[in-house]
Amino acid sequence: MKLTRRDFIKSNAVAAAASVAGVTLPITNAAAADADDGIRWDKAACRYCGTGCSVLMGVKDGKVVASQGDPDAPVNKGLNCIKGYFLPKILYGEDRLTKPLLRKTNGKYDKNGKFEAVSWDEAFKTMAEKWVAARKAKGPKGIGMFGSGQWTVWEGYAASKLLKAGFRSNSLEPNARHCMASAVGAFMRGFGIDEPMGCYDDLEHADTFVLWGANMAEMHPILWSRLTDTRLTKPGCEVHVLSTYEHRCYELADNGMVFEPQTDLAILNYIANYIIQNKAYNKEFIDKHVNFTKTPTDIGYGLRATDPREKAAKNRNKGKLSKISFEEYAKSVEPYTLEHTSKLSKVPKDKLLRLAKAYADPKKKVSSYWTMGFNQHTRGVWVNGLCYNVHLLMGKIAEPGNSPFSLTGQPSACGTAREVGTFTHRLPADLVTKKDAHCKFAEKTWKLPAGTIPRANGKSDDADQSDISGKPMGKTLIHAVAMHRALKDGKMNTFWVMCNNNMQAAANMNDESLPGWRNPDNFITVSDPYPTVSAQAADLILPTAMWIEKEGAYGNAERRTQFWREQVSAPGESKSDVWQLMEFSKYIKVEDVWPADLIAKKPEYEGKTLYEILYTNGQVDKFPAEQVTDSRGNKYNNHESADFGYYVQKGLFEEYRLFNSAEGIPKKGHEMAEFDAYHKARGLRWPVINGKETLWRFREGYDPHVAKGEGVKFYGKPDGRANIITAPYEPAAEPPDKEFDLWLCTGRVLEHWHSGSMTRRVPELYRAVPDAVIYMNPKDAKKRKLRNGALAKISSRRGEIVCKIDTKGRNKCPVGLVFVPWFDAGRLVNKLTLDQTDPLSKETDYKKCAVKISRA
Amino acid sequence: MNICSLIVHTKPTTGPLVSERLQTFHGVEVHGGSEEDKLIVTVEDEGETVSPVSDKMNALRDVEGVVNTVLIYHYGGEESMEEMNREIN
Amino acid sequence: MNRRQFLGNMLKTACGVGLVGLGLGAYSKRASSMPANYIRPPGALPEEDFLGACIRCGLCVRDCPYDILFLGEVGDEVATGTPYFIARSGPCEMCEDIPCVVACPTNALDHELKDIEESRMGLAVVIDQENCIAFHGLRCEVCFNVCPIRGRAISLDMQHNTRSGKHALFIPVVHSEACTAVDCVNVPAFWKRLPSRSFRCIWQKASWASITVWAGRRKTKRARHWSHPTPSIVTTYPKGCVTTCKVKV
Repeated sequence: MKLTRRDFIKSNAVAAAASVAGVTLPITNAAAADADDGIRWDKAACRYCGTGCSVLMGVKDGKVVASQGDPDAPVNKGLNCIKGYFLPKILYGEDRLTKPLLRKTNGKYDKNGKFEAVSWDEAFKTMAEKWVAARKAKGPKGIGMFGSGQWTVWEGYAASKLLKAGFRSNSLEPNARHCMASAVGAFMRGFGIDEPMGCYDDLEHADTFVLWGANMAEMHPILWSRLTDTRLTKPGCEVHVLSTYEHRCYELADNGMVFEPQTDLAILNYIANYIIQNKAYNKEFIDKHVNFTKTPTDIGYGLRATDPREKAAKNRNKGKLSKISFEEYAKSVEPYTLEHTSKLSKVPKDKLLRLAKAYADPKKKVSSYWTMGFNQHTRGVWVNGLCYNVHLLMGKIAEPGNSPFSLTGQPSACGTAREVGTFTHRLPADLVTKKDAHCKFAEKTWKLPAGTIPRANGKSDDADQSDISGKPMGKTLIHAVAMHRALKDGKMNTFWVMCNNNMQAAANMNDESLPGWRNPDNFITVSDPYPTVSAQAADLILPTAMWIEKEGAYGNAERRTQFWREQVSAPGESKSDVWQLMEFSKYIKVEDVWPADLIAKKPEYEGKTLYEILYTNGQVDKFPAEQVTDSRGNKYNNHESADFGYYVQKGLFEEYRLFNSAEGIPKKGHEMAEFDAYHKARGLRWPVINGKETLWRFREGYDPHVAKGEGVKFYGKPDGRANIITAPYEPAAEPPDKEFDLWLCTGRVLEHWHSGSMTRRVPELYRAVPDAVIYMNPKDAKKRKLRNGALAKISSRRGEIVCKIDTKGRNKCPVGLVFVPWFDAGRLVNKLTLDQTDPLSKETDYKKCAVKISRA
Repeated sequence: MNICSLIVHTKPTTGPLVSERLQTFHGVEVHGGSEEDKLIVTVEDEGETVSPVSDKMNALRDVEGVVNTVLIYHYGGEESMEEMNREIN
Repeated sequence: MNRRQFLGNMLKTACGVGLVGLGLGAYSKRASSMPANYIRPPGALPEEDFLGACIRCGLCVRDCPYDILFLGEVGDEVATGTPYFIARSGPCEMCEDIPCVVACPTNALDHELKDIEESRMGLAVVIDQENCIAFHGLRCEVCFNVCPIRGRAISLDMQHNTRSGKHALFIPVVHSEACTAVDCVNVPAFWKRLPSRSFRCIWQKASWASITVWAGRRKTKRARHWSHPTPSIVTTYPKGCVTTCKVKV
């Protein structure tokens, strides 16, 4: 139905007159007419955060005209946050890209040229030439791809195949490296298997909630409304909130604590110490299910090796665990007394004590939640682990209400980045390139000659893997932050960024990212629906079909896999990521990237393209293209099936299931249902066995992998025991000093999601929060002769930006710390941040660096 | 352009009849209320520089059966007609 | 033909068009005073006193560091030469030193006002609970988040959501004793009840504002949500929203 501004004003006028006259009108005027007629409704997973709300999309005449929260979804029961409410508008920003754009001068590619529209064929030809050259000249690390926790499951899977099997390169990383890597590291070290043991149902079962560096009120709005409801309706329920500044969660907190950055390490050790000193620990649980270990200390800050802080580190990047006894563990946390911890963290003693007592009370069920406060931390793996230590000491784990829970920030950080394993060191379903056997299993599944997939150390069966470059493979792993460094140093020459905005995200833009991308030797491709900061800094921009413009699947933080059908067509020549990956592979001949001796092992692959080897392998192309319909008989397009001639998504997903659900797989515990089941369900939480989902893992009665009589079994580890890993407090990399006298913490706000490339194109959201501001303590502002609303220059050792000061807003910073959100493309806070990482997880710490602020 | 809404009071039971008469005016629409003898009427123009709206409203008062007209809502914008007729969804 | 000309025309025909009933009340009052969304600067005396005291010097407008104050022009619905601002397009930033009041030579803006939070420029009103998505359990809270008298002028009343059974409602509540009504952005609400489902967001429906500002609370019962045009719908994302970032090449 058409509605013009004129109709709209008229209907307002009519309504006003009718209300004055007290006349009830028949519904005939334009705007009041029910637009429901002829709208096709279907479910989809929300495009934004890791909560995984389900939404209903109303489509008419090829356009989304209506939306609502999905009342049948267990997660959100028909509710949305303000972002989700305006969700379909992200498709219709005015500056959607519709054609591939290549930098050109005089009709030829030129790094310094202007963007010109080109055909897909020209785009891929140019790209293929650069990729093949870089792969040959610089080895497996000469090329790189940076994907996303917002990729659909099969997009991540197709990318993993293309890079690891096709190009024989482990230079594949997702933006989840900036987001979840520390959580993964701690899961693997602690439990040997990734992702939380509990689920969102814990939000109703717990008596005590503890938030560690998670602003759930804004970042997981629907989960927060569940937590709030439990707090309101359950007698005795209490909420503890910890952060380095006061945020919206403190409105509900019974015990709100603001601690000095980095001292969360000390606070968690204090709680463990309190539990041990008061003999509150669950001895039976510890004896049966836990090993005690320690991790090397003084491990550096993930900076470039030349940095003095790295040179000073005794055990740079080391993380090998060694076993200790309970007594040794107890001794290691002994220094963290109430007195000492309170002094270090600046949290009052009574508050710390109250927190410790909450954990130590055997009658209270405790759920801990954390997000980026823990993960974006130069000791992220440690601090994640320290939280598990407390839960394991009490045995408060893997049962309803007792749940240490790592929340994710992206809709499919779990489903795609982690489960499919689009990291440099991973393969699907928790397999790793470090293990020869895992690589061999993947090669068999993918019908590849043995030795195709590059091993982490470049050796298969203890022999060097041969490479197209003529040199041995060598070490093949390269993480996200190192990729930007390699681009700057000219060691990596081609880079493909998909489904994220890394130029706005990656830390230290001025010194690392931008020089790397604009290095004349490098060819940068960005696939995006919009001209983001990243797209503008690229050499080739590929217009991308987003979200419901393709059939997709996401996996949320509680292991729930959700599918949706293609609802509308993408504008112009836009194509989905999966199409781009597969179509590009047609431009690469196997002889361009594999050495002759490898091809000789499979002579039938001679002269073939990577497309033929990877995707028309009899598995991915197994299912013929079909008309997609729902149970009500509505019809849906599937552009990928139409273009390739088979049901692409189904083929990729079913091949992926050979890694997690087939007989004889190396790692059990990730079982998924078959493709069609997900189109019917409102998501299923893996492991899915015999069509049944699993709510709590590792516990008998809930998890089918735990046999009768075993009680609890951490089956990710060979001996079925989880690790308590002791780690001390160590200072941050760049604390404030005399010149740069403030901590800078970055993050998000409720109204915008990540870099704002979608939400800032929704007028209502843009209007609600147009620009990034500096949240600051009024005392700090006064000291610098700044007042609320004034423009200020905020600078670090790496760059500066200008923002308005906000001393009264939603985030209340303590003296000495400021908070700046990162959604604002006009105020790039990553010019300020330091490219420090957790040396173990390689995840960037965006929460702590030193800045100064003056009047602009 | 201008868009106004009015309540047009009619003589008892003549609502439907008056409604028909008003419909003959260009730019005038009746949206209901004939049962109650209080017609809900909109008057709009096509973006002319000198608005016919006020004249039209005067004229409506002279229509047989009309007791009174009350202006309730007025929108006066300087957008082009193109702008006004563009779809907004 | 603009609003001013139209009103001129209207005056000519005013005798012809009978102004009776509720319509008359609403219209004639508007003609002699400000529209509801026009708000006087902080510390303004009650409207009649203010009009007597204000000498139309414009010093407050000059001294406003954020340029949000306007002076009424001939034909405007506000007395010519008197200062006002429109909260929807440019809200008062609530400077701690209140430069507009300091600048006022006549006490039309009351010099007794020392604490900006004590000013009473207007009152925010949730006018449309049916359309306010917070009442349906959605996590919006934009009004709460932009309110400069944080937590006091608008608070969130947290309640159990009986419909979903496991979520909470975050209901915005305006507290008249603290509200200065300067910055409550109204969130366009698109809700419509449908018989089959609980509620849906209909994109083709235009919006009522769910929260509005009543100017000069001392004069009440003036504004109704129908009496001023609904804010126009922005169909394009605002300029500079993304392209403000110039990546150096």
